[in-house]
Amino acid sequence: MKEFFKVLRNGLSLENPLTVLMIGLCSTLAVSTKFEGSLFMGIAVIFVLVMSNVLISAIRKFTPDEVRIPIFIVVIASFVTIVDLVLKGYFPSVYSFLGVWIPLIVVNCIVLGRAEAYAYHNGVVHSIADGIGMGLGYTIIIAGLAAFRELFGSGKLSFLGNTLVNFGAGYRGPNILLLFPGAFILFGLVIAGSHALNRRTARKEAV
Amino acid sequence: MSTLSQLALLLVGAALVNNILLTRFIALCSFFGISDNMQTSVGMSLAVIFVMMMASTATWIAYYGMLKPLGVGEFLYIPAFILVIAALVQFVEMYLRKYSPGLYRAMGIYLPLITTNCAVLAAATEAVKPGFFKMNMAYNFTLGENLIYTLGVSVGYGFALLSFTALRERLDIAPVPRALKGAPMAFIAAGLLSIGYIGLGSLFGL
Repeated sequence: MKEFFKVLRNGLSLENPLTVLMIGLCSTLAVSTKFEGSLFMGIAVIFVLVMSNVLISAIRKFTPDEVRIPIFIVVIASFVTIVDLVLKGYFPSVYSFLGVWIPLIVVNCIVLGRAEAYAYHNGVVHSIADGIGMGLGYTIIIAGLAAFRELFGSGKLSFLGNTLVNFGAGYRGPNILLLFPGAFILFGLVIAGSHALNRRTARKEAV
Repeated sequence: MSTLSQLALLLVGAALVNNILLTRFIALCSFFGISDNMQTSVGMSLAVIFVMMMASTATWIAYYGMLKPLGVGEFLYIPAFILVIAALVQFVEMYLRKYSPGLYRAMGIYLPLITTNCAVLAAATEAVKPGFFKMNMAYNFTLGENLIYTLGVSVGYGFALLSFTALRERLDIAPVPRALKGAPMAFIAAGLLSIGYIGLGSLFGL
């Protein structure tokens, strides 16, 4: 059980897919203009990551080594199709906002990367922990980035039609936050911050 | 029906205004992964243009020739496209190794990597799925429009990748604050480059 939480925590901080491993960046930057959409994106990635980790880890004993990558991709693609159809049926507004990024979860480096690097070599229980940890690490960064951009870029934060925070009509936010360059620059600062944080933790542990 | 000027607009729109790397964030992994070396960037750009043209033709034919007539296009397109792309890349690699060793060496390890390059799957999907490519054009491209569109996307990819690589090689020797050194600074530079691309958007009024 202790091991379970250790694996889970790894995904959140020390091996965070976005800020440390720097994989799966494309969707993060593109989707993080709206809090609602990126939260759903995070949930979708957690679902695909956990389910594909479980299945791949369960069949790892009789997966031939030579064709493992095509097998992984087909497994992942099936779960992505489930997400695609569920979002389209129940959350059409989110679906049209996310657009091409839902099918692109198939080639999201995080999912394939974890299948190859972790699930293929470890048991089912640990693979679940790894999937949840990595997925949460992704979701926290993307939702936080999106909340910041939506709140300060447009002055209000909405979720499924409800306005959570509103700065009022007089607020003129920096428009660049909502545009593409804002995402790059903001994310650069996020990485700089998280690297500094990790460096400090490492120094503390060394002492 | 599309006139010549519409096709030209599609080409420029896909290559510059809706640049796949800098204004739509697709395929950023390779963008940041290999852009620290000019030689590898050139190899990757060539490989992407080459594979994307073939892959999107193959997926277009697979979608309209097989998936749609059978009525399964709606829920089988993701696995079908990725398998078509993976198989195609494998065949291209085998063919090149046998018949054109020079080209094979130039593209090197980038050929297999392209299977998981989001740009290829994105362009293939956008050609057949509604609403993903937001421009004043019908979404269901004909084969010819699809080819023009893919050419635009892949040339735009190469253009952005090469210009960013040149920028980054210079950035390595620039005096930047210690906290921003490396990856953070690369992101900020990409942000500034992307501001330039926004300017192009208003230039063509798209």
